[in-house]
Amino acid sequence: MSRHGARHAISRRARPRLTLNLTPMIDVVFQLLIYFLVSTNFALGEQVYRVDLPNREEGAADPFALDEEPLRIELLAAGDATPGLVAIRIEGPWPQPSSFEELHDFLESRRIDADRPAGLFAPDHPVLIDPGPSVRWDVTVDAFNAVVRAGYTNVGFADEP
Amino acid sequence: MSVVHERGNARIEANLTPMIDMTFLLIVFFVLVSRISEVENVPMELPRPIDPATVPPPEEGRVVLNVLPGPDGTVEGYKVGAAQFAPTPDGAAALERHLATLLAQNPDLDVNLRADRATSYADISPALEAVAAAGRTSDRAASTRINLVVVNDQRRSVAR
Repeated sequence: MSRHGARHAISRRARPRLTLNLTPMIDVVFQLLIYFLVSTNFALGEQVYRVDLPNREEGAADPFALDEEPLRIELLAAGDATPGLVAIRIEGPWPQPSSFEELHDFLESRRIDADRPAGLFAPDHPVLIDPGPSVRWDVTVDAFNAVVRAGYTNVGFADEP
Repeated sequence: MSVVHERGNARIEANLTPMIDMTFLLIVFFVLVSRISEVENVPMELPRPIDPATVPPPEEGRVVLNVLPGPDGTVEGYKVGAAQFAPTPDGAAALERHLATLLAQNPDLDVNLRADRATSYADISPALEAVAAAGRTSDRAASTRINLVVVNDQRRSVAR
């Protein structure tokens, strides 16, 4: 009798309220937020240069196609004392650039396009980069960048270093 | 008041649900992240060209070939996924066979080449030649594509 009366007293004092516990949801949302903030930083700024390595040994080449002589750019390491320094040599009767900026200007000024129909090299003219064995990779990439930035699409590496 | 206490003492409990949520999320997070970063992106100093004319990397259909940097511009080996190859002629031949197997499974595969900026070209050239040689053995029609991975700080890319 007294127990029954007590329960009645409780339910009269405070009605059970239906509340939504938001704490787990907020936890999860914060976790996801942090995850995406961090994960978008992983490959930050990693981009690529595309190089097509031709399958040269296949013999089914078009016999009437003119084999264009590639423009060869040699990179020669200046010495171990200054690892980042190289001499740039363009094969042929061309002015020799002393920096990659000059190499870029040379290549861009001789590219055939709508403004320069009398240019020497088509944008798909083959350009081969021939780094010496001790040339650092970042220097090789700088040379590659200069050629690609000048608007050439057919850039590759020479076969033998 | 006395009526309420009749039911028993008030208990203090910690709600463990948020902690378990967070713990599971952290576990999933570290499992995924450690796998991606260890297998594919070996930490190294990629080249940072000035005014880069790069393109965004392909999302799919690529395999990452890491040239593992050693001290003073040397290399410790070549790594494709979890497979590692020694920087010797035998290692380069094994790398070529491995790439040829991958290209046989998917002839349109691109190879992303990651190499440290201080590595000399003599150590990168065998990797390039292995990719080219593996491409010649595959069914791919025209050419094998290799992507040179660099860091583009300027966030500028060209459409090609």
